[in-house]
Amino acid sequence: MIQIEGLSFSYPGAGHAAIRELSLRVRPGSLFGLLGPNGSGKTTLISILTGLLTQAAGELRVDGRSMPAEAHAVQRFSALVPQEYAFYPRLSVMENLRFFAAVLAVPERESRTRLEEALGVTGLESSAAVRAEHLSGGLKRRLNLAIGLLNRPRLLFLDEPTVGMDPQSRRFILDTIKRINLAGTTVLYTSHYMEEVESLCDEIGVLDEGRLLARGTLAELLGGKAGRRLTVNLSSPPTAEQRRALAALPGHTLTGQELGLGECSEREFTRVVDLLAAAGLGVSRVKYGYGNLEELFLHLTGRQLRD
Amino acid sequence: MRLFALIRKELLLLLRDWHALFLLFAMPAVFILVMSLVLQNAYAVHQGASVRYYLADADASPASTALVERLAASREFTRLPSTAPTSALEALVRGDRAQFLVLIPQGFGRAMTDAHPLPLKLLSGPGVEPSVYQLFLAELRGDLAKLYLQQSLAVLAGRIPGMDAGALDLDAADKLLTTESLYQVSGRNEVPSSVQQNVPAWLLFAMFFVAIPLSTTWVQERQQGTYARLRSMALTAPSLLTGKLLPYVGINLLQVAMMLAVGVYLVPLLGGDRLTLGVSWAALCLMAAAVSFASVSYALLIANLVATGEQATIFTGAANLLMAAVGGIMVPRFLMPPLMQTLSDYSPMAWGLDGFLDVFLRQGGAAMAAPQALKLCLFGLACLTAAALRIRLGKGR
Repeated sequence: MIQIEGLSFSYPGAGHAAIRELSLRVRPGSLFGLLGPNGSGKTTLISILTGLLTQAAGELRVDGRSMPAEAHAVQRFSALVPQEYAFYPRLSVMENLRFFAAVLAVPERESRTRLEEALGVTGLESSAAVRAEHLSGGLKRRLNLAIGLLNRPRLLFLDEPTVGMDPQSRRFILDTIKRINLAGTTVLYTSHYMEEVESLCDEIGVLDEGRLLARGTLAELLGGKAGRRLTVNLSSPPTAEQRRALAALPGHTLTGQELGLGECSEREFTRVVDLLAAAGLGVSRVKYGYGNLEELFLHLTGRQLRD
Repeated sequence: MRLFALIRKELLLLLRDWHALFLLFAMPAVFILVMSLVLQNAYAVHQGASVRYYLADADASPASTALVERLAASREFTRLPSTAPTSALEALVRGDRAQFLVLIPQGFGRAMTDAHPLPLKLLSGPGVEPSVYQLFLAELRGDLAKLYLQQSLAVLAGRIPGMDAGALDLDAADKLLTTESLYQVSGRNEVPSSVQQNVPAWLLFAMFFVAIPLSTTWVQERQQGTYARLRSMALTAPSLLTGKLLPYVGINLLQVAMMLAVGVYLVPLLGGDRLTLGVSWAALCLMAAAVSFASVSYALLIANLVATGEQATIFTGAANLLMAAVGGIMVPRFLMPPLMQTLSDYSPMAWGLDGFLDVFLRQGGAAMAAPQALKLCLFGLACLTAAALRIRLGKGR
């Protein structure tokens, strides 16, 4: 659905590029999660993909159409749900939906069905007559999403759609997104919430400083070669003799009772276990690979603050 | 359908924003009302009695008394009664409590025709405008000339037997001059009121202030992400601009109608001069539409140049004041130095003012106002083109 080759983009006057030589493929029907710290280039990438920014270098095709030359054609079958409440607070839910349906040139005969559909999918039927400014944060997020469904998009860009929501509303939105995806819509989803991306997305990309640092399924990312780091917590401090036995493990580090062994293959892992047993060293905890996406994310992007 | 939706949305948003409605309609109406009433006695030339002076006559001779009476007969100036000493009167004029102080020295009348006369002294306050100063000076010089002539004739009559100095009518010269204004009301020639001369300028000034609410609305849409969403829906720059242009031109024209109604109906009720709308409705409509188109297009360009609502407000306010100063709204163009007059030729407010004066003062038809309307339309088109280019390049986001 999306093919990006060597994409670069700089904002005029900015000291550094917002997107650098980025290459990425998103297959049709997938739910692709784009992770990255603040300022990593997620929103910029979405702006380029939706035709809002047009001065990017590199190759970009969406459903076979070249961007930005065919941006208008792409915009007809795609939809953007920005992170802001991108609607009119002084209009009611229904007035907002009607307005955006008209802008999307939804045919008059289909308009009613589409409006009901958008209201139904996002559970906004009972709030249709309420002015948007009087909605709760969760309902506003749902309206934001509902507008994005009016043209029945084949490709949906969701830019941090659950920011500032309570757990119930967030779960509702996530379930809705999953349903939309299962119905055939390709979704490109950005978020700071790792557990959301873990539970929702079938493919994940980690973006930082405009570069794609990693890409793959959750299993691939957590269990890949880069993720096979072995750390062993010993049950008691090693004696001098046991320390000598550990010398057989190249590149190991010993901090108190924590034994770090760096990247290990499965064969090396077995050898370490055998060696520890032979040396009479008890083990209280073993950590192999990344426990979750957040660990991988922090390992890839570093721990320094970005804002 | 898209355009209709955009226009409907804009009007709905406005109808639900009382603050914006107040700014858009009540403020210009109050503005025109206040300006009409304030300008009522501009320069005291036509309505009189607002230029005040003190006079201290230390001579109290028949000649000085005659001068005092002549000055008092003038409709344009009002003498303030006072028996205070000269130093106190000077202090009052220095504090702009009155505009002038006329001091007639002792012996003024007796020495009038001598080789070494005792001149009277005119003191003017710091707030006196040059035009008002010249007006008072001309009145005083005219009265002095007549008095001098009268005194000289009396001296001559004493030397020439049979000459009757009193038989000469000193005011006969006034009959050698008649005046006629080329401004007509209901077929009669009349001198136009200050309101008629000045309100068109302030009407134009108020019309250009539509840029503030329009540009701040646009900036808000951008900050809310609505603008990005609309652009991601394949909405082209011309559609976005037209969707704002049409409702705001309509609003601007309503503003004009309301301001004119205030000038025609409300101001006379409050004792002010009634505004007359010229002789050609077509010319008035043409100019109103051209100014509206220019001012709204200019507002759309500003909206695409600025980044925040604060910038929009400050930039529009400052730019409007500058355009008004250069365009002859604040100072008549004929009073400007040549360089500024040349500069003024390129100011859209000057074109608008010329066109409005064609309608309100020169009582021209649509053909007379057409060149100014054309210039304004071209200016509007240039602004719209620049705004559309900003949008297409993604810079107005």
